[in-house]
Amino acid sequence: MTKDISRRAFIKGTAAVGLAVSVGGCLEWKGDNIPKAVQRGDMTYDILILGSGGAGMRAALEAAKNKDLKVGVMTKLVPTRSASTMAQGGMNGVTGLPSNKGDSYGAHTFDTVKGGDYLSDQDAVEYYAERAGKNIFEMDYMGYPYNRQEDGTVHQRKMGGSSFARAAYYEDRSGHAVVHALFEQCLAEHIDFISECQMLEIVMDGDTLCGVAALDLRSGNFIQVAAKTVIIATGGYGRAYWIRTTNPYSSTGDGIAAGMSIGVPFKDPEMVQFHPTGLAVNGVLLSESSRSEGAYLLNKNGERFMKRYAPQFMELATRDIVSRAIATEVEEGRGIGEGLQAGVYLDFRHIPKERIMERLGQVYDLSLRFADTDITKDPVLIGPTCHYSMGGLEVADFQTAATRIPGVFAAGECSCVSIHGANRLGANSLSEVMVFGQAAGKGAAEYVAAHSYEGNAAALQQAVARWSAHFEEAVQRTDGPSVTELRDHMADTMWFKVGVYRQKNQLLEAAREITALNEDYKKCYIGDASHVYNTAFMNYIELGNLLQVCQGIIMGALARQESRGSHSRRDYPQRDDKNFLKHTLVFQEAENKYHVEYKDVVVTQYPPKERKY
Amino acid sequence: MKLTLAIHRSVDGKEWIQNYEIEIKKGMTILEGLHEIKANQDASLSFTCSCRSSICGACAVRVNKNAELACEALLVDLAKRYQTEKLELEPLANFKVLRDLIVDWQPKYERMQTIHPRLNPKEEFSLDKGCIQTPAEFDRYKKYAGCILCGACVSECNKNTLNQKNFLDPFIFVKAAKLVEDSRDRNPEEHLKAVVEAGLWRCMECQECTAKCPKDLDPAGAIEKLKAATFRLKLKETVGSNHAKAVYDDLHDSGMLDEKTLATRTEGVFLSALRAPVAVRLMTHGKLNMLERHPVNPEIKTIQAIMTKAKEVE
Repeated sequence: MTKDISRRAFIKGTAAVGLAVSVGGCLEWKGDNIPKAVQRGDMTYDILILGSGGAGMRAALEAAKNKDLKVGVMTKLVPTRSASTMAQGGMNGVTGLPSNKGDSYGAHTFDTVKGGDYLSDQDAVEYYAERAGKNIFEMDYMGYPYNRQEDGTVHQRKMGGSSFARAAYYEDRSGHAVVHALFEQCLAEHIDFISECQMLEIVMDGDTLCGVAALDLRSGNFIQVAAKTVIIATGGYGRAYWIRTTNPYSSTGDGIAAGMSIGVPFKDPEMVQFHPTGLAVNGVLLSESSRSEGAYLLNKNGERFMKRYAPQFMELATRDIVSRAIATEVEEGRGIGEGLQAGVYLDFRHIPKERIMERLGQVYDLSLRFADTDITKDPVLIGPTCHYSMGGLEVADFQTAATRIPGVFAAGECSCVSIHGANRLGANSLSEVMVFGQAAGKGAAEYVAAHSYEGNAAALQQAVARWSAHFEEAVQRTDGPSVTELRDHMADTMWFKVGVYRQKNQLLEAAREITALNEDYKKCYIGDASHVYNTAFMNYIELGNLLQVCQGIIMGALARQESRGSHSRRDYPQRDDKNFLKHTLVFQEAENKYHVEYKDVVVTQYPPKERKY
Repeated sequence: MKLTLAIHRSVDGKEWIQNYEIEIKKGMTILEGLHEIKANQDASLSFTCSCRSSICGACAVRVNKNAELACEALLVDLAKRYQTEKLELEPLANFKVLRDLIVDWQPKYERMQTIHPRLNPKEEFSLDKGCIQTPAEFDRYKKYAGCILCGACVSECNKNTLNQKNFLDPFIFVKAAKLVEDSRDRNPEEHLKAVVEAGLWRCMECQECTAKCPKDLDPAGAIEKLKAATFRLKLKETVGSNHAKAVYDDLHDSGMLDEKTLATRTEGVFLSALRAPVAVRLMTHGKLNMLERHPVNPEIKTIQAIMTKAKEVE
């Protein structure tokens, strides 16, 4: 995008930054969302963490164990607003506690690998399984409000795809409790938060990491934050499907886009998990418990169509199978509604009202609120909705969460270790966030001990000037397609051509459409020229990141000529271990130029078998 | 159905109220209304949001002077409640406004830091083995762990509106109650002392926080729990606890409020003496009669019976 900036705008931006630098700390700032030393520009972080969700804060706490290290956490919101808060089920881990009786690291590893349709790296999963239980205890010590057993130990419950009860939880708000327990610790440890800052670019000078360029939303100042190491923990990219996702508005793949731009490959991007029961109207998740309590899925003819797809399990078949069944019904004209809001009925009417109110209170509330449907009286319209991204930035060393770029680490949903392979099991994401957040914090701290800062201040300044100029040019546009138009177009393309089912000709069309959208993006209309809290500009940046991520998803989906886990090719309906027991790696060579490579899956003890439940 | 949203705007030092007319769709929340405006009418309207399922706390705003979680409240319900086709939207009160509906959370985190906002685990617990806690002990604080930091409570807090300097935000009291009531904590006094110093006894008990909390956490109840904890943990006496104790004793012993000694029992002889001019003013206005003792309530016998019962339960 930088090429399109006019020379005048660049000079203007450079002049503005030059002025700011020459007057030192005399820029106008609005409040203390950014530490004073960062405002003055004289802070070099040892470890700069991008994202304040579960992975980011866990990494920060681990790194801050060494009091000599300068650790900062940057977030585009304020802490505690992250996608992590939305996790409901719990965190898996083998603890050996009474409710987890009989479980073992091996069982946890196998369940995870099988759930992932054998695309998980088994050595990484073993490492993860051995540490997940330990993290449950550590969180207890950090004040996590676990539901308990009579003997005072943490209670663990069984989630889909797990062979033992191993998910520790707080009510149905497990992720919320993770985030708030970690935030309490961060407050007590006086961790630096750099809040309300949109990260724009990880700045490299050749092969050397310099730091990060960001926009302070409050003041409109473009800032440079020098850093010896960067941990990317910015979450997933469900918003590529816009309203057809359970993800928050903030899940826009910012870190993945930034990581790709500096040479970290996007691993298994095509692996996007679709949850079958999202409200048709807006994609909000209706809990899996709907189906486990016995709700029926009906098409427009009132037929329980699951009998044609999974006669034995019916509605209780796995997420991917049910999602595919619903998608087929809609495609073949037996759905209800149109476009992104087409779906089928989820029917609770045969379930006694008392049981609905007792066990499905949240499902009842959400249906009534968003779909204006009283589920005790009428069926509610639902459809598949993008729930989780198994793919992400390639982690080259799972013990440190390091990427292949020296000094750059990645953890949480934005990363791909790979634990979840082609499909994630319930309650494995919060644990992943804990284990690899910690690994990243520790890994970065070790890296810092062995390296000194060699970044180039001029490179950082140039990046900031470039972004400042870009801002001046972009917000002054007076016409062009709007950010929301392009965004809706992107979601349509992704949902209908890169959704639950994929096939070659549609994927090729999708690639062409996203490329065209990328061109439109360069001249799109933002509609707000203010420097203060310009959320329209922020949405514009997020859209740019999503478009970049979409290219990765499509490339990966096109190249993977098989069906595995959440990736279903109509033209290649079988899993193909001979050719595709491999990770996709999408590299960005230049702007809008990508290529695909493959890397073998690591198999230790569990040779691929057919995945049956 | 059409609805007008009159939104308080503030951008770059300018403040105004802007009317937006929108068509209400089925299940349309305040937040969806805001997105609709941003997408189709005015991209410059700014607000914060994230999860749109009532758990991240990012989107609370004021509608007709009452705090609401924007992703949760339906526009059609609000129109019905206020019998109107025009709703007034403002940023949360008792926050500094950054722009439009966006408020400044930073000072709130700094205030939260004053209560030592993390668990001090007892010595028998460890990082390796975690802690032990019975379900009954968990029940004592589990509700408070559900706070989403949306700020709805403080927006309508009358004490905060009057003076924020000597009182905390209700959600910070909720956080403190969570820690004080948590059996795993070895030093609940640490959090408790901090909230007493930060104005625990200055709560006006207006119950606005409890009425506005979208998660039904009852922050006012949390404040009462903290007050009770100051007696349970035998914290050093304060003006607030003395006053509560004095009123309690009068009710319990005689059912008559003895106003002439109330001040000395609350603040001590010396401090009360300094307040003599106030007493004189009260007397000349007929608000304080040193010679009378008031029967507090005609139902005093019932109240005393409740007090005795409550003591037994404790």
